[in-house]
Amino acid sequence: MLPFLRGVCMRNVLKTVLMIEKSNKKNIAACIIIAVFVFGLISFITTEEKGNLIKERTGDYQSVSSALYKFQIEDASENGDGSDLYKNLVRQQRVISTQRMAARVDRPALYLETSLELADLRDAAFKMDGFQDVALYLPTKTENQLQRVYYQELVNEGKSVSQNPLSFYQFLGYLFGIIGAGWFIFVSIYSCGILIEEFQHTSLIKGYPISFGKYVLAKCSSAMLMVGIFILLLFICSLPLIYFNGLGDSSYPVAVYSGSIEVFTTIKFIGVSVLYMLLIALFAILLSIILNMLLKNMYLTMFVQLLLYISPYLFPGMMAFVPWNPINYLNFSRIFNGETLDLATPAALYMSQGLITIGVCIVIMLFIIKAFFTAGKLKRV
Amino acid sequence: MQSYFKFEFLHFFFNKKNIAVYVILLFFSCYYAMVVAPSYDPIEKVDKLEMEARYLTREDFLNSVNTERMHPSTAYAVMTYPEWNEYEKGRLDALEEHDFKKYAEATSKWYTYSDGMIYKGGDFLFYHPRYYTYGNNYAREDGHFAYLSAASRYEGYAEGDYALSIDVFEERTALQTWQRLLQSYLPFILIVSCILLSADIVLKDRRNPTLLRGFPMSPWRRLLVKGGVALFGSILAFIPLAAGLLIIGARNGFGSLDLPVPIYSHVDKSFSLISLSEFMLQNMALIILWFVLIISLLLLTSILIRNEFANLFIGFAVVIGEFTYYTRGIGFIREVQWYPTSYIQVGQVISGYRNYVYESNALTLGNGATVLSACVCIILLTVFIISNLPKFKQL
Amino acid sequence: MIELKEIGVRFSGRDVLKDISVVFKPGEIIGLVAPNGTGKSTLMNVMMNYVSPQTGQVIFNNGLGYTSKKNEVKIHQLISMMPDQSDLYNYLSGREHLKIYSSMWNSNKQLIDQTIAALDMGSYINKKTGTYSLGMRQRLCFAMQIVSDTQMMLMDEVMNGLDPTQVEIISRILEKKKSEGKTIIVASHLLENLEKYADRIFFFKNGELELVSDLSPGFEQKELTTIRIEELPDAVSKLLCKEFPELDIQTLPNQVTLINVQGATSQQLTRVVAYLQEHSVTEFNLGKVSLLDLYSMYYQKA
Repeated sequence: MLPFLRGVCMRNVLKTVLMIEKSNKKNIAACIIIAVFVFGLISFITTEEKGNLIKERTGDYQSVSSALYKFQIEDASENGDGSDLYKNLVRQQRVISTQRMAARVDRPALYLETSLELADLRDAAFKMDGFQDVALYLPTKTENQLQRVYYQELVNEGKSVSQNPLSFYQFLGYLFGIIGAGWFIFVSIYSCGILIEEFQHTSLIKGYPISFGKYVLAKCSSAMLMVGIFILLLFICSLPLIYFNGLGDSSYPVAVYSGSIEVFTTIKFIGVSVLYMLLIALFAILLSIILNMLLKNMYLTMFVQLLLYISPYLFPGMMAFVPWNPINYLNFSRIFNGETLDLATPAALYMSQGLITIGVCIVIMLFIIKAFFTAGKLKRV
Repeated sequence: MQSYFKFEFLHFFFNKKNIAVYVILLFFSCYYAMVVAPSYDPIEKVDKLEMEARYLTREDFLNSVNTERMHPSTAYAVMTYPEWNEYEKGRLDALEEHDFKKYAEATSKWYTYSDGMIYKGGDFLFYHPRYYTYGNNYAREDGHFAYLSAASRYEGYAEGDYALSIDVFEERTALQTWQRLLQSYLPFILIVSCILLSADIVLKDRRNPTLLRGFPMSPWRRLLVKGGVALFGSILAFIPLAAGLLIIGARNGFGSLDLPVPIYSHVDKSFSLISLSEFMLQNMALIILWFVLIISLLLLTSILIRNEFANLFIGFAVVIGEFTYYTRGIGFIREVQWYPTSYIQVGQVISGYRNYVYESNALTLGNGATVLSACVCIILLTVFIISNLPKFKQL
Repeated sequence: MIELKEIGVRFSGRDVLKDISVVFKPGEIIGLVAPNGTGKSTLMNVMMNYVSPQTGQVIFNNGLGYTSKKNEVKIHQLISMMPDQSDLYNYLSGREHLKIYSSMWNSNKQLIDQTIAALDMGSYINKKTGTYSLGMRQRLCFAMQIVSDTQMMLMDEVMNGLDPTQVEIISRILEKKKSEGKTIIVASHLLENLEKYADRIFFFKNGELELVSDLSPGFEQKELTTIRIEELPDAVSKLLCKEFPELDIQTLPNQVTLINVQGATSQQLTRVVAYLQEHSVTEFNLGKVSLLDLYSMYYQKA
């Protein structure tokens, strides 16, 4: 075939694959699931009263109170016999009360001021003797730092602390903040049969005048196209919120861990999340293809992928030991909120590292598919 | 019919996917028994140091307090601490003497008294601090439930004739572990396994349609046989899980099926006791009913949508359905007892905990059985009608 | 053009193909005839490179062979094999299948409608293939290959499940394709039909190809060579042998008796016919050996 015809050919394959794909009910089922997820999340935020500052502070207050309960002190005053940590906690409790009042009487400036003060107090508490005994009742170090930069940014930018969590951008920020936990699983289940379905039609595929690698690539592209549609669907299903609750603030800060604690604007946060989602989806699809060829069974493929996904939870020590393992990053929400820093063996996993490792793995898998897989030996399963 | 059952049965157990499900369950159950179970650290544990610390501080306080012109809260403490400490002392002494029966009795009284004090005690008395973790807005409610439950449980231990031990008190024996798991994620695991096992039971036939189309059997009966095989296979999922139980049993003892399990009744806001065997039976009944529901649902979607992914998605949607409407206390406003998904946490429904968090008194075994059976009937009827349509083709 | 060079394939110690060397030229229809399981499909699979032969090679135009993946793609542009019925996408329509094949081989789009018309598939082509009957599926598979419009076409059991009218239509299309200069290799059990349009027919035995005209020299000529008698009583047969010792008389396993009259004079012929009538044998015909007879002779020998 002449070289200039190759492009035409790839387009034809893609056309073929899309024709096969367009009447696949799996796609419709997946779209419905996405829509249900978005609407379910909206109702969840409504019923849970996310963003109700008074309710959240009350929880804080109780936690600190029970931390204080750990101490047996006779004189609780500033120069009494309490330890430094005890005095720190008492101050925390007082600041939280002020914070609660500030929220109740709607004085955002005071609320921010006290929030920063609280973060400072907590920061100091981490270094004090006996902190381990009360650690359970306080946010972790990373959580506290994330809150701190968030409030600091609000002060710097002069933004209000209370935002309608159901306005468009705020909702998307929340949605992309949690979707990382399930995205890989979703794409794995979606793609676990990607080639198995083709195995039912081997006598057609084997004879195509195109290399198997290219055919797989076309399958992969069409699956990625669907993934793109899924992501788009997340936005589209959230559109009604603009009508009901307005656009919200696209530059509202979101605190993330990206190697250091910093703030992203909501829009940047969404952007990075989408980038991660695309890479993870590609990773999952290629993994499905390889596992399909090896295991020849769609469910086994799915099980292996799920086991890979949960392996960092089963063996958390592995994360610090092998930080460049792409599997660590499949739940990217966990990376963004720095959760891995607070593990028994802290692992500093950061965003760009994840993008690089997943990217490298994608290249390796593409190479494997191109180099080792041929259609000739395909058999019906 | 029998030979067809055998045929389907063999297919089911030579299916690579199904074997994998059993293997994974076995892996998880062993992982749980070796890694998770030993690190189980209940809040309500038998902790001598903790009791001693509490007892001594209060004794100190009572001995040194100046009873003239007391602050009201001090006066309250002076009033309540003696009785409280009496129970605490009883627990400590019993532990010293290794008299578990006496310990159970004293502990039961201690929990009842503590809860009475703390729940009404306002903002200056607390349940065990570990309930008040960061972000838990319902620590007080959790503590209240746990204290009353413990009081009732220890009362049962004190009254009955059991081989008591610390492992029994802390619910570490194999059977009690099973019971605890039934109240947490075990029902999810079982139901998800059921979904995975039955997702392809109908649609697998598409791979060799001519072989099966001609079987001298009506589609409806064929579907029934398939459902039966899937149900049988799902029930067998208990076997790999039992492996973990054996490991735990070998280490912490198996416990006894007569041990008491506290059941909460939202109507009179109190606990009553049933035996562990009864608790297990009720759980099994509800779980098997769930299996039947899931399988009939998947039969229906299999013949309606004819796509394995749709089966998986719909199955999982049922499993997580409760999260979309669950909030604490919502049962007070909404009739959650008529949603089948409210019964997914089988163990918590039976133990009454779901009633507690929903603030409803209608989430009972009876209602659950009624709602789930009604769903099964409706679904199976639909399957029956569809499979008897003149235009119906199974494949 | 396809050239097979000393192709050898062994499956578990058994020679399925043994040193096969043959050339198939453009504008030729080749018939492959053999009982099931003798290696016809394996031969086709070797030509498609679905099975790699232990020895030998397949060479296409300009010396192109299966030496690299790139070449395989180039070769598949030239050669196609008819898809299996069971591999159709049940949820796609027949037309969509044709479109897929047309776009994969980048062939002339008009072929789609032409083929649909030629095969009389218009009434159901837009329905999902899941609703098709066996014959409809078979026709679709054939149509797909026609639409792919490759230089060489391999067809395994192309006439399966088709009614006589359809067999006739397909035969005509095959002849048309031949006249366009395509190489078509057909494996079929419809021997009478194959006889009509195939230029060369090969038998397949013990892993070797045998050209039918080599087995029966007069087979391809249009001359009178044989008297065929179905179900000749044994007694008559023996008498016949005695009466005409100079003729070659043979009874096949399929109960057909052949009397070789190649080169016989018309006098001799008249005598034989008269003798047969005398012994009240009325059903016989004069002509040449049919493929069916050769098949019986070749494969059913003890």
